[in-house]
Amino acid sequence: MSQELEQAVAPELESIDGVAAEVMETMFFTEAVVAGCSHGWLSEALTARVGFDGTHCGEVFLTISPEAAQSIAAGFLGLDTLELAEPQLEQVILELANIFCGAAMSHLWPESSLMLDAPKLVDAELPVEGFWHRCFALPEGMMAVSIGLRGPMAPAEGN
Amino acid sequence: MAFSVLIVDDSPVMRGFIRRVMTLSGFEVGECFEAADGEDALAQLQEHQVDVILTDINMPKMNGEELLRRLETHERFRSVPTLVVSTDATRQRILRMLSLGAQGYMTKPFSPEALRGELERILGERHVSRT
Repeated sequence: MSQELEQAVAPELESIDGVAAEVMETMFFTEAVVAGCSHGWLSEALTARVGFDGTHCGEVFLTISPEAAQSIAAGFLGLDTLELAEPQLEQVILELANIFCGAAMSHLWPESSLMLDAPKLVDAELPVEGFWHRCFALPEGMMAVSIGLRGPMAPAEGN
Repeated sequence: MAFSVLIVDDSPVMRGFIRRVMTLSGFEVGECFEAADGEDALAQLQEHQVDVILTDINMPKMNGEELLRRLETHERFRSVPTLVVSTDATRQRILRMLSLGAQGYMTKPFSPEALRGELERILGERHVSRT
């Protein structure tokens, strides 16, 4: 990515960093710190997708490592990780994706008018090329997000 | 004195979270009823009297907008304060929900303290006189 292009996308990535930190701290009682993208952990991870439509159209993918998913789901529900059932864990990850997507849209495009799809768990590999993408370190594992737009406002390849 | 609450959200984990953070924040929750959508909420209100309703917007069967419209047309339910709790923080949406009769609007993410503050604000004098 050229320096010029990197500067052009920086505000969006900064927004994504801020939203991730705020969402994780406020509602999941944990920290999310920007981390380097070494994607070896993605094959074991749980991925949720939220589509959005309106003044902006696209999709958000949120991927989380199994250990981090267990920990944040337990924290969200006020349970011990051993008490956590698989459907509860999945519902919390869907809720996390929904909250992250809504907050990210509001920060990135505050004057927009958007409808979010219901979040869904997907088997698809986390897309990176042509998406605004960030990896975050959580105390118990990793989380990654990718936001893609369809149409002329889409981020350039390699962001 | 504690307040009875109706939480309307299609996500059971979100309903549980709201219930938990209300208690964590120090807000006194008495009876707490839950509904998965607007239709379910109206059915719960026929059965139970509540002091405040917290509702999501995007839900199957009957969404939060339609629920607010129905509440406004109902003689008994229209006086129950309603707080919208949603991921949608766009100005257009907030203004629309307030114009439909919501007394407050919380965007996710929110802290327990912020939720308590908003509940106290919309319950106003009733909260002060009970504490």
